[in-house]
Amino acid sequence: MAGIWLDALDDIARTCQEHGRSDLLQAVRLKRAHLLDPTLTVLVVGEPNQGKSQLVNAIVNAPVCPVGDGRTTVLPTVLRHAEIASATVVQTPSTTPGTPPGAERSTVERTPVPTEQIAAGVAGTTGRRPGAGPAYIEIGLPRALLGAGLVLVDMPGGESSATGASTPVAALTRADTVLLVSDSTRDLSVTELNRLLHLTRSHANVVVVQTKTDLVPDWRTVADRNRRHLADAGIPATLVPVSAALRLRAAATDDHALNAESGFPALIALLRRDLTGKPDALARAAVVLTARTVVEQLAAPLRAELTGAQSVEQSAPMTRLHAAQREVDELRRCSTRWQNTLTDEMADLLSDIEHDLRDRTRHILNTVDEAFETADPLVAWDSVAQWLERSLVEAAEANRQWLVQRCEWVARRVADSFARYGHGTLPPWPLAVTSEHGQPLPELERPNVDRFTMGQKMFTGMKGSYGGLLMFGLALTLAGLPMINPISLGAGALFGGKSIRDEGRQLLRRRQATVKSAVQRHVDDFFVRVSKDSRDAARRAQRLLRDHFAALTEELQADIIESLRSAKQAADTDAVTRERRHREIQQRMIRLAQLYEQAQQVAAARPAPLAPRT
Amino acid sequence: MTGAPRLDAAVRELLHRALHVYRDNPRATDVLRHQSARLDQPLRVAIAGGWRSGKSTMLNALMGEEVAPVDGSAFTWYEDGPQPDATAYSTSHPPQRLAVLRSATGMRVDLAGWRAGELRDIVVRWPARSLRQVTLLDTPAVGADEQAPDPVLDRVLREADALLYLTRDARGADLRVLEAARQGVVGQAAPIHTIMVMSRVDEFGGGRVDALLGARQLARRALRDPQVDALCVTVAPCSGLLGLAGRVLTEAEFAGLAALARVARAELEPYLLSAERFARGEPPGGLDAAARSALLNRLGVVGIRLATTLVRTSCGSRAALAAELVRRSGLGELRESINRLFVDRREVLKARSCLAAVEELLRAEPDAGTADLLGALERLLSGAHEFSESRLLAALRDGRLDFDADLAAEARRLAGGDGEGPAARLGVGDDATLGWLWEAATEARWRWQEHAEDPALRLAQRRGAQIVVRSCDGMLADLAAHSR
Repeated sequence: MAGIWLDALDDIARTCQEHGRSDLLQAVRLKRAHLLDPTLTVLVVGEPNQGKSQLVNAIVNAPVCPVGDGRTTVLPTVLRHAEIASATVVQTPSTTPGTPPGAERSTVERTPVPTEQIAAGVAGTTGRRPGAGPAYIEIGLPRALLGAGLVLVDMPGGESSATGASTPVAALTRADTVLLVSDSTRDLSVTELNRLLHLTRSHANVVVVQTKTDLVPDWRTVADRNRRHLADAGIPATLVPVSAALRLRAAATDDHALNAESGFPALIALLRRDLTGKPDALARAAVVLTARTVVEQLAAPLRAELTGAQSVEQSAPMTRLHAAQREVDELRRCSTRWQNTLTDEMADLLSDIEHDLRDRTRHILNTVDEAFETADPLVAWDSVAQWLERSLVEAAEANRQWLVQRCEWVARRVADSFARYGHGTLPPWPLAVTSEHGQPLPELERPNVDRFTMGQKMFTGMKGSYGGLLMFGLALTLAGLPMINPISLGAGALFGGKSIRDEGRQLLRRRQATVKSAVQRHVDDFFVRVSKDSRDAARRAQRLLRDHFAALTEELQADIIESLRSAKQAADTDAVTRERRHREIQQRMIRLAQLYEQAQQVAAARPAPLAPRT
Repeated sequence: MTGAPRLDAAVRELLHRALHVYRDNPRATDVLRHQSARLDQPLRVAIAGGWRSGKSTMLNALMGEEVAPVDGSAFTWYEDGPQPDATAYSTSHPPQRLAVLRSATGMRVDLAGWRAGELRDIVVRWPARSLRQVTLLDTPAVGADEQAPDPVLDRVLREADALLYLTRDARGADLRVLEAARQGVVGQAAPIHTIMVMSRVDEFGGGRVDALLGARQLARRALRDPQVDALCVTVAPCSGLLGLAGRVLTEAEFAGLAALARVARAELEPYLLSAERFARGEPPGGLDAAARSALLNRLGVVGIRLATTLVRTSCGSRAALAAELVRRSGLGELRESINRLFVDRREVLKARSCLAAVEELLRAEPDAGTADLLGALERLLSGAHEFSESRLLAALRDGRLDFDADLAAEARRLAGGDGEGPAARLGVGDDATLGWLWEAATEARWRWQEHAEDPALRLAQRRGAQIVVRSCDGMLADLAAHSR
């Protein structure tokens, strides 16, 4: 029988090795040695003042552990068989958690204690070197029960001495049987039930000992309630009610009936059964628990990896692939965007530039018109013509300047679309301000204007004065004056002068009109030519920009496609390895489940519940 | 007493200011008015403790009648009243009278028709002299959850002025629960409102006859533990079961015990080994099963062991046995402690609980001016010499300071243990003139100043002497104020 569970345990150890968990392997090996050891280690735990030490005393029928008012067990007490009664304080020099009794003897310090000082020893006040590691007291007693291989460990009360049950790895090597002591004056508390739950996970054999039944008349109902509490909490622990007082009394008076009444025979029978059953039933149960602990420990990282693998979408190659695809989309969007920007901006620019030029020329024309409203072209022409030329050149230059600036601005705006690629460079700029005049502007020719010559003046004067002279001369002849008299002469002169002035003004108007229309023509010519130049320049700029950015887009596209391809490749290979790893994990899980099942078969009599797994 | 106004006057003043600050807040005003009314009501002493720590038994022992428990999950108030009467307050129903059934040794309340946990409060009116100055409060079990402050204990501390905290061993979880419930500056101040009672001490040491003596030593040892000392004013060992048995022992029960005692010790002993043996076996003495089970219920197996021994050795009558049981149970000392430390100091205790309530309110509902009030409260608390005096009186009662008897008596007198007035404190007649009082106070002050500086005394003794010096200073200041 023993062979089977040993095989199972060796299987477990091998699995630990396969998984590279040397810590678990160490624990399993310790457990194996422990299970092969025929002694049965019984741990006595519980809240303070429940009668743990008294229970130990009653089991061995000797007042070895001090009991009484406010006596608190500080050091764990280990009771084992010895031919002569003896006591020793055992202290581990290092600070490793208390080694199980019987292991690593060589490294501990042993201080013999006189038997009358056991009480002080247990209270932790004697035989213990300060500053050293955890200590315990080992007491040897010549008792048949101990001789059969029973080792009793009386633990200090309270939660602080949690017997390392918190870490399953440490607990693997611990006691075979745990006695949780709770007295009959009250039901099991929540703390105690929690502790029991914890213990049953790591110990195959947990017994609740309900002490002090002699104090309470209704201990049977308390026991029933406690059994119900245990069942409700799903704790597979037996409950044994005992009375240490009765047992000690029975030992003193050698009263077998009283001994039976104390409940101890049942407890001791239970311990003996465990002891004889250790190589078999208990060991098998322990193997199941070991298997469970090991399987849980091994499966946890695997399960974590599986859950991690289920979220493939988050893996690195996939992320890169997605990023590359996003890049491609983005570039496509970017290319549409910059083309639209360029077209729109250029159309705007053209209309703006033309409007600007027109505005400037109209302004110049207005100024010229105003000037010739009063000025005589004969006198002012030269200066006006000069100013006109200068103004037109200035207007053309300003317009040009603006065109260049707008072109640059458009180029920058288009380049902004590429900002996220870090390619914000502008093309080398070919537009210059002055060098681009295709043809020189036409010369402004002096228009042909009529002058008012002396002869014409004479003639006009004569014509006018004749009328006057005649009119006044005839009128005055009626007054008896001669035809030619000073008055008629004066009137003639007056009329002549007026005719000359009128004629002169008319001539001036005509000259001004001529000049204005000449200037108008000139400015129109100028406008046509300059606007054509601007248009050409703008188109050239647009074409230049388009070529530049199209080339840039292509370059980027090539890069991105390349990275997309590599990402895709990486993702594919990753998926393959992941699939392989997944299968491997699943196989390992199956193997672990098999291992656990095998262990359970070994202990077919008492299957332990296993946490459901996915 | 300390030149400043007396503590209760200062607390009333603080309440007044708080009422002014919260004049627009009806809820807070209600709380404050309630506290103000409580200052004039009897002292409220709650009995709290873990599950099956013997709360109801202890309450019965203190009252000398079997009136508890009524309902395990409700707060039960015991007030003085002309007629036995019980009223139930639930969360869902209007207050309702409950039927009270009188029994030979107390009463029982008829709870028919109420579901468990439905009742919140039960107020029992019971004609008893012991309730004249004190309202007793029986509480549900305090949980064992040590992380959060326990809701039951929280409410107990809010509603009661003083607390008897029942514990089996004055260690571990019980201390942590009590520690977690200390909140606010008032909660952190000297714990003059808690007596820790080691209950069920008859079961100590597996139920030996001398368990009670052992328990007394254990209590002394616990009191030396600074962690315990910081949580309570004293530790009293008391077996509620034996105390109650002593107070309600009937002639019939005594007759039964006497019959048992007449049986030879060796013959009886096997039957007293366990409760079950006594109840089911056929012990000599001719008691029938019902009588035996009644005795078990009344005394427990340990109590029967003790009682038969007592009857056999010294106590020949019911009265003598009852007195001896009460003496041995520690109940007498516990009652004396309650009288000296709670009832005599009720003004201080009520002021303290009122301060705690005001502090809680100030912290829960901050408003303009609450910071000022909190400051005033903390000043009041740090200047409250009454707290130190309470602690000193408790220490003197326990003999913790090891003063010789005369010195201890004088210290108690000066700290107000024999009466509050200056004449009582100074131990002179009530007709003493101001000059006489002044002289006596000055003389006492210098003498105790010397004690306070005496290097031969222990630190605790010197600290005690310092408190006495301050009490004297306070008296002198009062006298000076009077002479003006």
